[in-house]
Amino acid sequence: MQTKSEIITFNGEWLWLGNLGQIFVVLMFVTALLSTIFYFRSVRNDSNQEALFARRSFYVHTFSVIAVFVILFAIIFNHRFEYYYAWRHSSLSLPVYYMISCFWEGQEGSFLLWLFWNAVIGLVLIKVSKKWERSTMTIIAFAQIALSSMLVGFHLGDFKFGSSPFDLLREQRPDFLQIPILGQLGIGNYLQVFKDGNGLNQLLQNYWMVIHPPTLFFGFAVAIVPFAYSIAGLWRKEDRSWIDPALIWGLICVGILGTGIIMGGFWAYESLSFGGYWAWDPVENASLLPWLIMAAAVHLMLISKNTGRHIFTSHLLTQLSFWLVLYATFLTRSGILGEASVHSFTDLGLSGQLLIFLLAFIVISWASTIDKKKSQNQILVTVLGVFALVIALSYAIPETQKGLYEGFHSIVKNGGIVAFLIVIVLFVYNLYKRTKTDLRDEHLSSREFWMFMGSMFLILSLIQVFSGTSIPVFNKLFGFKTATPVATDYNRVQLWMSMPIMALMSIGQFFTYRESKDGKLYKNISISFALAFIVTILVNLNFGVQEFKYLVFLFLAVWLVVANAMYFILKKKPKVFGWGSSVSHVGFGVLLTGVLISSVNQKVLTSTQTGIDMAPEVNEKGQTDVKGIAFNRENRILYKNQKIEIGDYFANYTKKEVGIGKDSIDKHFNILFVDKVTKDSFLLRPKTQNNPKMGLIAEPSTKHYISKDVFSHVNYESGMDKVEPFSGFKTSNVKVGQTFSTESGKCQMVVKSIDRYSSNQGIVLSVNIMVNRLNDSILLHPEFRVNEQNGSFEANPAESNELGLILMIQNIKILDPDPTKQNIEFQIQSGEKTPVKDYIVLKVISFPWINLVWAGTIIMLIGFILAVVNRIKIQQKLAA
Amino acid sequence: MKPLHIALLILASIGVAAVVSVYGNTTQIVSFNAADSLAKEEPNKEYHVYCKLNKAKEIQYDPQKDPNLLIFSAIDSLGTEKMVKYLKPKPQDLERSEKILIIGSSEGAYFHAKTIFSKCPSKYEDTPVKD
Repeated sequence: MQTKSEIITFNGEWLWLGNLGQIFVVLMFVTALLSTIFYFRSVRNDSNQEALFARRSFYVHTFSVIAVFVILFAIIFNHRFEYYYAWRHSSLSLPVYYMISCFWEGQEGSFLLWLFWNAVIGLVLIKVSKKWERSTMTIIAFAQIALSSMLVGFHLGDFKFGSSPFDLLREQRPDFLQIPILGQLGIGNYLQVFKDGNGLNQLLQNYWMVIHPPTLFFGFAVAIVPFAYSIAGLWRKEDRSWIDPALIWGLICVGILGTGIIMGGFWAYESLSFGGYWAWDPVENASLLPWLIMAAAVHLMLISKNTGRHIFTSHLLTQLSFWLVLYATFLTRSGILGEASVHSFTDLGLSGQLLIFLLAFIVISWASTIDKKKSQNQILVTVLGVFALVIALSYAIPETQKGLYEGFHSIVKNGGIVAFLIVIVLFVYNLYKRTKTDLRDEHLSSREFWMFMGSMFLILSLIQVFSGTSIPVFNKLFGFKTATPVATDYNRVQLWMSMPIMALMSIGQFFTYRESKDGKLYKNISISFALAFIVTILVNLNFGVQEFKYLVFLFLAVWLVVANAMYFILKKKPKVFGWGSSVSHVGFGVLLTGVLISSVNQKVLTSTQTGIDMAPEVNEKGQTDVKGIAFNRENRILYKNQKIEIGDYFANYTKKEVGIGKDSIDKHFNILFVDKVTKDSFLLRPKTQNNPKMGLIAEPSTKHYISKDVFSHVNYESGMDKVEPFSGFKTSNVKVGQTFSTESGKCQMVVKSIDRYSSNQGIVLSVNIMVNRLNDSILLHPEFRVNEQNGSFEANPAESNELGLILMIQNIKILDPDPTKQNIEFQIQSGEKTPVKDYIVLKVISFPWINLVWAGTIIMLIGFILAVVNRIKIQQKLAA
Repeated sequence: MKPLHIALLILASIGVAAVVSVYGNTTQIVSFNAADSLAKEEPNKEYHVYCKLNKAKEIQYDPQKDPNLLIFSAIDSLGTEKMVKYLKPKPQDLERSEKILIIGSSEGAYFHAKTIFSKCPSKYEDTPVKD
């Protein structure tokens, strides 16, 4: 009875909007479920009616996804901060064009975006896939169940099923209703306090961050289609007809995902200050894993399609690529990467659900390989049961529980790992038995042999990235304390891994499928080799690469470009769309050349490695500790208006522009660079932003030339020093022309003149005072404002950190009413502190030929577009 | 033996080598004391230490003397305190950090950090917005 009287009415909430959204969330979950069930039944029973119902359910599902999207956007657009999602990810000052970015800052929004892309893909499949519709759509619709379940937001005690984007702020943060001010306002009026949201991460407020995440997500989403075709192929017992459509989608995936990854790199390079575009960060690696395997899968599909060989490997790689998409999602969304990443994603407590999602698809893969219809149901049920039990138990019992539970937990966990491995082994074994092909007459002169080898080297490269990135997972599973590898560990191995890939990409195209009968084959390869050798020598006159291993890499990258360009000239393919593979391979070669030159020849221009430790320490044994020699001193201090030499330039920090934003202070530091030889000059404007929510964010500034970039960022500036208060106050009475000094006498001042102007608040006297301290001098303008109506006055002090001085006019005495005489006596108070010089700590890096990285990516993308269009045309011709 | 089989064998061995190289070259997450004793065995190897900034001691960073020298005191998860020397500018969010990962090696009285990752409290956990 007591609780009833305490029911609070909350004012100003638009609850109907969230309720409407929640209805669509449930609708999208239910329709995904219906669509899956009926698509599945329509395949089993070969029923048109059921297929029609499934299709209609999917249409309603798509509509619901779009409705949820629109409603969430409306909540953000209308600043309805009673909704947790809007409060947490947006604010009043957020420009409309960044509101879309709120969708990928939060997990719910990201899943929504994924749902949206999958729905679009589903609509396309319904339209184009014809006889494959029912089987492939079963998989797509199933994925939609899994993704929708992430948004359902159903709580039962501690058990959490999804997280709704329409949760209310007061439900998510009940502590907010406890803040003292609500005692007076009444808890029901809490929205009067929470008028503004937390805001979008500053780093996401960048145009690249508007297009990079949806591109990457689209690439991730597309990976499900080849997977669905592979499953459908096994299910419908079709040998290799699944490959034609799967190949098209695989190419789309590689193209889009590759572009998305490089876009992320470009964003990092332009707006983060780590100085580069790729850091082997676990989150970057997570997006690279599906790309590497999909690139290999596409080549295997080409082999299978043209020769009927390696169908097992085609299936395996295609399915693994989607598993890796799910694994990447698990890594980035479960919080398991923790400190290992500079990216941080908040854990919504959905790790268990994500894991079930991943395992469910592995079980689907496994189930599709089982041949006998009878045993299928039984095994499926058993395995699903084991999985569900293991997962349920390991998440129901918190790991921290001691005693009896502790041992039990490890049994459950290890049982789960063993069950998992058994399923994987069974899957591979079943798949092999069902799809193995005759590998006799494999000729060394066949294209498929070399293409297969190239793809396998891609997989080897993947294995290394996978093992490194998965270390946090193994640490968690087995309680290891292994540290995650750093960038140099990856570079060291990947440098060698990429070499055979490049060599095989160079020669592969010259071979023909089955057996090369072209007598000019070896001649052509030799010519391309020799040409590449000459080109390498020529380009290296500019690049100046010296180390042997890098020279080998450079040669191979150049060979890749030369050989593929040569192939495509020799072939004289009449139709532009047939050029896809050559063009994308050339692009890849250009990209890798750019990667090599911009990393190997990258120069820290501000580096001052003199071989002397500038801060030697004497250790316990009395020896001088000279460890510092091993490190480059990579930053230089630049005092304002003091020209220094930085690399081939004279650099002068000329100006600081301070802008005060709504919730941050932005400082742009203008640095003028003048080339020592050519006298060409350019201005760099690195920025620091002091944001109360995010702390300090430094944004680099880069000058782009065709052959190099000059990249700069501020690591520290004098404004970050501790502020010392003014002291030693002294009052002096002075007139124009008179000299006076501060208490310590360190500053000598003279009153030069008075400016008089009227403002709407009265007459303002601005006093021009020349200040001298040692060799520095500056003009300060303290002001004094007199309100003629009421006679009140107000002082506006002037201060200089550089000279450590503050001046304030306390009073005036007008000795002569004629303003032109300027006969006024001022009572001026001066205060002092240690002078603070205006300086910045700057790092400048030159990245030679970094444009090749971006150019290579664009060429590669063009190649993929050509290849996709070509494949679609071929398929249309076959269908006609 | 067909060429493909030989090739597969070679590939498999390279694969194993790649995995071994990943795990053979990894280093451990250790405490300051462990880093001290390990430094005597393998002086050139770097270790990862998770620690906290010791706010009782002042962070020494005076860019006008040396913009590439930072010295601060840190406490690891076992409570051991150690001075950390870092030959780069002060990371911008060092004071705000709640956890620091330092990668480097122990050298006498100092832990020489080659890399520092500081993890800040999430911006969302801030106190409610005041009007």
